[in-house]
Amino acid sequence: MTTLSPAPAAPAGRKPPPPSTSRTHERPGRRNRDGLRGLLMSAPALGGLIAFVGVPFVYAVVLSFYNVRLGSPLQPRFFGIEQYRRLFTDPDMSGPFLRALLNNLTFTVVVVPVQTGLALALAILLNRKLKAIGVFRSLFFLPVVFPMALVAVIWRLILARSGDGLLNSALDAVSFGNWGAFDWLGDGLTAMASIIVLSIWQGVGFQMVILLAGLQQIPGELYEAAELDRASRWQQFRHVTLPGIRGTLAFVAMLTSVLSFRVFDQVYVLVKGGGLDEDATRTVMYQAVTTAFDQNNIGQASAITVVFFLIVVALTLIQRRVVRTGNED
Amino acid sequence: MSSISRKYRRTACTGLALAPLVALAACGPGGPADTSAEAGSGTGTITVWAHQGQAGESTALQNTVKSFNSSQNKVKVKLTLIPDTDYTKTLTATDASKLPDVMEFDGPTMANFVYNKKLAAIDDHVSVKTMANATDAIKAQGEINGKHYGLGMYDSGLGIYGNKKLLDAAGIKYPTGLSDDWTAAEFTAAVTNLAAKDSDGKSLDLQESGGYANEWGTYGFAPIVWSAGGSLLENGKAEGVLDTPAVASALKTFQDWKKYTDPNTDGNAFAKGRVALSWVGHWMYPTYSKALGDDLVVLPLPDFGNGPKTGQGSWQWGIGANTKNGKAAGAFLDSLLNDTNVTAMTTANGAPPGTTSVLAKSDLYKQGGPLQLFADQLAKPCGDSHSDKSCVAVTRPVTAGYPTVTAKFSQALAGVYGGADPKAALEKAARAIDQDFSDNDGYKLP
Repeated sequence: MTTLSPAPAAPAGRKPPPPSTSRTHERPGRRNRDGLRGLLMSAPALGGLIAFVGVPFVYAVVLSFYNVRLGSPLQPRFFGIEQYRRLFTDPDMSGPFLRALLNNLTFTVVVVPVQTGLALALAILLNRKLKAIGVFRSLFFLPVVFPMALVAVIWRLILARSGDGLLNSALDAVSFGNWGAFDWLGDGLTAMASIIVLSIWQGVGFQMVILLAGLQQIPGELYEAAELDRASRWQQFRHVTLPGIRGTLAFVAMLTSVLSFRVFDQVYVLVKGGGLDEDATRTVMYQAVTTAFDQNNIGQASAITVVFFLIVVALTLIQRRVVRTGNED
Repeated sequence: MSSISRKYRRTACTGLALAPLVALAACGPGGPADTSAEAGSGTGTITVWAHQGQAGESTALQNTVKSFNSSQNKVKVKLTLIPDTDYTKTLTATDASKLPDVMEFDGPTMANFVYNKKLAAIDDHVSVKTMANATDAIKAQGEINGKHYGLGMYDSGLGIYGNKKLLDAAGIKYPTGLSDDWTAAEFTAAVTNLAAKDSDGKSLDLQESGGYANEWGTYGFAPIVWSAGGSLLENGKAEGVLDTPAVASALKTFQDWKKYTDPNTDGNAFAKGRVALSWVGHWMYPTYSKALGDDLVVLPLPDFGNGPKTGQGSWQWGIGANTKNGKAAGAFLDSLLNDTNVTAMTTANGAPPGTTSVLAKSDLYKQGGPLQLFADQLAKPCGDSHSDKSCVAVTRPVTAGYPTVTAKFSQALAGVYGGADPKAALEKAARAIDQDFSDNDGYKLP
C-alpha cells in the first residue's frame, strides 16, 4: 500500500508572506467581508458539529434533569439533580461509575504512550527502501481494517480460560507443561491488561501510517548532513527525526487519547461473550449505552454522558496547552 | 485502540437525541384506557410479524400461513419475518399504531408491551377450545390480571443431560425423575467425583461461553434462586426475596462449581465426552442424542431445598392493541394453534408443545418418551409468584419492569461466577431493582 505524503508545511520560524493583493490600499469593511467568507467556508463543518454534537449534547443535558424511560407510558418527571446525586453519592450507582472512570483513565494512561511509542518504532522500521516494503506495511496495517467487533471475537478464543485457549496452550508449550489454565479475562488483574493489549494490536497500524507519512516528509539532505557531522544513529534520531515529526507526533498522541476515551466495542463484545470481569473493564461509554438501551433509563444515561463529556473536554484542553508550549505554531 | 467506532458514539448520540421523541410520543394521551381490540368484520387482510428463528421454524410458519390462506377466502394473512436478534428491539421501537394485527414476542417481554399499550387481550378473539387446549404453563406465562395477552405454540424447559457411560464408570448415583431428585450437595459431590477421575479435572458444562449477563443467565440460573426458596421479585419488590441468606448460599455453591466447569468455547464439551454433565435446555437434545445415542440421560436440576425448579416460556403470539380486525386475527391464532400446525412447528424445533392435545401425542415428550421429564416439569406450573415444593416450572416475573430485573440479576450472577461475594452482589441487585421500580411508580399496569 502506498502512503500519502501531505504537502510540505512551511518551514517553521519563517513568517508566511503577506497575502498579495491587487489593490494597494485596503478598503474599509474588507475585514468584515473576510469574516463573513470565513463563516461561509466553515459552515458545512460547523453545521455538522452543531447537528451531531451540539444539539444532542444540549438534549442530553436537558434529559439528565428528568426521569425519562424508553417506551414508558408515564410522563417524563422532573428530577432536578437526582441523577447526578446518584452518580456521585449513591453507593450502588457511584461505585460502578467511579470505577468506570478509573478504568477509562487506566486505559488512556497506558494506551496513549505505549501505542504512540510502538507506532513510532514500527514507522521507523518500515521507513526504508526494501523490496516489497508495501507488503510489510500492509501487514501491520491489516488489523485496522477489521472491525473491532470481529477482532474481539477472535481474541476471545485466544484468551479463553481453558487449557485449550490459544494463549494458554502456547504458554504451556513454551514452559514445557508448567503453565496451567489461566483465566485472562476473568481475573480482575489481567482483564484490563488483556483489553489494552488487544486494543493496541488492533489500532497501532493506523497511528503508524500517519507517522510514516510524517517521516517521509523529513528531507534526506538533513540525514546526509548529519552523517557528515558524524552523528550516530541515535543522535540522528534525537536531533533530526524527532524535531521533524514533532507536530505529527503531537497530533497522533492527541487523536489516540480522544479515541481511547471512547473505548467501548471490545468491552461490549467480550462481556457478551462471557467470562469477562465486568467491574474491572467497565468503561463509561459502556455504562452509558447499557443504561440507556438495556435498562431503558435515558435520564441516568444522559447524566453519565454529560459528566463524561465535560471531563473529556477538560482533559483535551489541558493536553492542547501542554503540547502547544513545545510547538511554535 | 482503533478508530474506535465513531459509529457507535454517533449511534449513541443519535439514539439519545431521538429517545425523548420516542418517549414523549409514547406518553401522549394514547389510546383507550382498556386494551381491547376492535373486533371488526372478521374478513379482509391482516398483517403478521414473526421472528426469523431456525430455518425449520420459519419454513413451518410459512407453510402454516400458506395453507391458512388457501383453506378459506375470508381472511388473507401477510407475513413479515424479522431477524430474531433485532426482533424485540423492533417491537420496542415501533409506535403502537404501526404494529401489525398479529405479532410474535418473547415471553418475558409481554408485560412491557401490555404496559406500553401495544398488546390487546386475546380472550374475546380466540375460540374457547383454543384457550382450553393451551397447557397450564403456557397460560400462566400469557396471563396478566386475569386476562390473557399471549399463547405459545411451544414451551421450553431446563434439565441436566448426563453421559450414562461416564456416570456409571465413576459409580455415580443419579435420579430417575423428579421424585428422587438429587440435592445440591449430592450434585456437587457427583461433579467433584467425576472431576477427580477426569483428565482435565472438568466434569460439568454450564454453557458459559455466551456469558451470563444476558437472558440466558436469568433463564438458566434463576431456578437456583427459586429452588433455594427465593424469588426474583414478589409484589414488585426484590429486597427480602432475592437477597435472602438461602439464595446467597445457593449461589455460593454455584460459584464453587466453576473449578469443575469446562468453558466450552467450542460448544462440544458434552457431545465430545469431555464432560459428563451438561446444564442446558431442551434445545440441545437433537445434538446430544445424535452424539451419545442410548448413553444420554435427562435429569432434573438439583434441589436446593425448595424442590427442583426449571424456567419455562418461549415465543408467544398476541394481537396488536390497535388492530381493527380482532376477529380475523383470532381466527388466524386458532388456526396457528391447531394440532397440525403445532405438530409441524415442534417437530421442526424439538420444543415441548404448548397445547395439551399435541403434548399427549408427542413422541419425544409423551409418557415414556426420552424427554418425558420436560413434560412432567411443565405439568407442574408455579406461575410467577411464590413457588413452593409442589410445583416445578416457574414463569419469569410477569412485569413491565422485567428488562431491569433481568439486567440486574444476570449482572449479579455473572459477577458471582467471576468470584464476587454472592450476598453483596444480590443485595446490590435487589436495591437497584427496587430503586428502578420506585422511579417508575411500580410499573403499574393499566
